[in-house]
Amino acid sequence: MTGSDIEIELCEPLVPVEEYLAAGVHIGTQQKSSDMKPHIYRVRGDGLYILNVQGTDERIKTVAQFLSNFESPKVLVVTSRQYGQYPAKKFADTIGGTAVIGRFIPGMLTNQSLSHYIEPDVVLVTDPIGDRQAIDEAVQCGIPVVALCDTNNMTGYVDLVLPTNNKGRKSLSMVYYLLTREMLRLRGVKTALTIEDFETEL
Amino acid sequence: MKFVQCTSCNAPLAEAGATRFPCPKCGHEIRRCNRCRKQSVPYICPQCGFRGP
Repeated sequence: MTGSDIEIELCEPLVPVEEYLAAGVHIGTQQKSSDMKPHIYRVRGDGLYILNVQGTDERIKTVAQFLSNFESPKVLVVTSRQYGQYPAKKFADTIGGTAVIGRFIPGMLTNQSLSHYIEPDVVLVTDPIGDRQAIDEAVQCGIPVVALCDTNNMTGYVDLVLPTNNKGRKSLSMVYYLLTREMLRLRGVKTALTIEDFETEL
Repeated sequence: MKFVQCTSCNAPLAEAGATRFPCPKCGHEIRRCNRCRKQSVPYICPQCGFRGP
């Protein structure tokens, strides 16, 4: 493989852009935050801010590469959002990580006397607003935080932003599926998983 | 005595809330102090030029 082939492979999106658009990964909210400005592509006529799909694609690769630096059981996936629970659990189960879905019990990362106390090396949160408790505890412990951020999210205490629609069912399934696929690819594991395996049933 | 410094602002990583992690692109160690994390100050990897967060 020549150098130009490698460059082409790196530039290629993980899935065709049409699939990203069909899943609504680019759809933001009607609010925008100053932190997310660099990731916003344009504003639609109805006031919805649109995320840059190419940036999302690149960041999925970056986040997968980043999470691969840590041991699998030390990766903690947190989501309180209903539509994120199934894909996050599936992601954690597939890569061998830990998932906290639903309510994040305070003290999980800081109170050693609790039975469910865990010591992760990195935390992946689905929504910095809903999963604030997990971020606060990760900060107290000095753990890096990766977050799926929409156009309305502030990125305070987030060390790596994955700009995406973190509210949609299909969007969350797509992002977690691609993260799983990319992490397994980096490990040299082939998978037969499809995006349907990550979709929450209605 | 030499302190470990923040990649963004060069402040010593003395207080709680600071973190260090490998650069997502090249693996070089990135260090962020509590203030830079709180205010979401961008960091640039000195080795590969990756810009975060």
